[in-house]
Amino acid sequence: MTKNTDKPAAPQRPLPTIDNSNRPFWDGARAGELRMQKCCGCGHIRYPISDLCPQCLSGEFEWQRLSGRGKVFSTIVFHQVYHAAFAGEVPYNVSLIQLDEGPRMFSNVVGVPPSEVKVGDAVEPVFDPVTEDVTLPRFRIARAG
Amino acid sequence: MSSIRGKVAIVGLGVTEQGKLPGSTPISLGAEAFKRAIADAGLRKDQIDGLLTMPGTTSPEGPLNYLRLGEALGIDPRYTGSMVMGGGTAGALIQNAVLAIEAGLADCVACVFGDTARTGGSRFSRASGWGDSWGLWGMFGAAANSAVAASRHMALYGTTSRQLAEVAVACRYHASLNPNAVMREPITIEDHQASRWIVEPFRLLDCCLISDGGVCIILTSAERARDLRQPPAIIGGIGQAYTTRNMEREDWWYVPHQKEALSRAFAMAGVGPSDVDVAQLYDNFTMSVLLWLEHAGFCGVGESGSFVEGGRIRLGGDLPVNTAGGNLSESYMEGWLHIVEGARQMRGECGPRQVEGAETCLVTGRGMTLNCSNAMILHRA
Repeated sequence: MTKNTDKPAAPQRPLPTIDNSNRPFWDGARAGELRMQKCCGCGHIRYPISDLCPQCLSGEFEWQRLSGRGKVFSTIVFHQVYHAAFAGEVPYNVSLIQLDEGPRMFSNVVGVPPSEVKVGDAVEPVFDPVTEDVTLPRFRIARAG
Repeated sequence: MSSIRGKVAIVGLGVTEQGKLPGSTPISLGAEAFKRAIADAGLRKDQIDGLLTMPGTTSPEGPLNYLRLGEALGIDPRYTGSMVMGGGTAGALIQNAVLAIEAGLADCVACVFGDTARTGGSRFSRASGWGDSWGLWGMFGAAANSAVAASRHMALYGTTSRQLAEVAVACRYHASLNPNAVMREPITIEDHQASRWIVEPFRLLDCCLISDGGVCIILTSAERARDLRQPPAIIGGIGQAYTTRNMEREDWWYVPHQKEALSRAFAMAGVGPSDVDVAQLYDNFTMSVLLWLEHAGFCGVGESGSFVEGGRIRLGGDLPVNTAGGNLSESYMEGWLHIVEGARQMRGECGPRQVEGAETCLVTGRGMTLNCSNAMILHRA
């Protein structure tokens, strides 16, 4: 048997596979912008990222910068560690965000204790670099005014 | 649409020991359940000409499970296949069996599930979403999806954790009356409130078990059922409904397609919620039971929390739910045991947990990321 004296590698958090289909989203996040696809056929702004508009099936779209503002649609707090990379992060917030421009996305509301986030809270985006290449769009409670 | 009402029956039930079964495999458990089911029905294995299966979470062959199990059982069915819809699979396979029997593609169909999720370490922790999954933001596992529903339901309607506890307490009480249940020690609302957080607003006792076990359910025509060993449970109506969308549907969290599945089953059977004497409602998490109650019309939108208070869904209450203990306390067979218990209630063989005089049972199933749902009405013969 080979004796392994190396420490096990720290578990890596899931990272996006960036390719042509999603690069504008991740480039946008690195530039501090939330970008999503807007259908050239019917104007529907969609998420998750997809080749066809799920409303009208048009394949024509353009990437549009969104305000990133929205409201907390639902909010939960993870205490259980389902992925080893999050062992040091529990308890952490995951919220379903209703964006002002229409789409919904899962993300994290940060900057307040995770259980204090409430459904209906107004939020705005923050851009959190988690690696050199990947910046995650997250949200914080919107500042008044 | 009512053409198959009352035409097909559940005639054989096979359930293995449940819980932690080291040394077992999904195939050994499925095969044992099959043997018990044909003995229960009074059928020989060569009379089973339909085989429909759900692979276990630990089945290496995945959706080729029907081949592997058929080989283990030594049968050559004329109708077969496997389906993967999580907790929606059992009900969907039963419905496939009904259609196959009614269409003359098979006479006796065995629907089989075996799993070693407990000893095999299945954690149901997959992140939903295709491509870049929701796990990028730490959104993992089955509990989280239902927790999203619970969080919003609580915010909109004032539903409380203590009301969720009523579901857990009722299921555990029923399991205490079921010798084959895994968790039989009664619990209180306070026990629920003292259990640790999993994904807020869910505590440990809001969550189903993870179990090893096998289940087999045999169906045949209602006509042929009369000649078999057990009183048949007649299938009065069936319905399915799906959404493949989640983020794109604003009401995804509320699982609105469940209402469509229920309406279809009620309409086919020609009954409504007031006709239901006992219900087996898919309970991966406590919240799921509340949503079924609303969708089935037992109470109004947003009213399920107060509906379950005061033991209403316990034996002796207005609507006994999950009378064998459910996924929460009997065993997590992904809804297969809900169908078994529904049929047993219709046979009248449930002993201390029998709902006296029950003639109509509603059974529901739901799986994947809140996406797949089905409902079935069973009647006493």
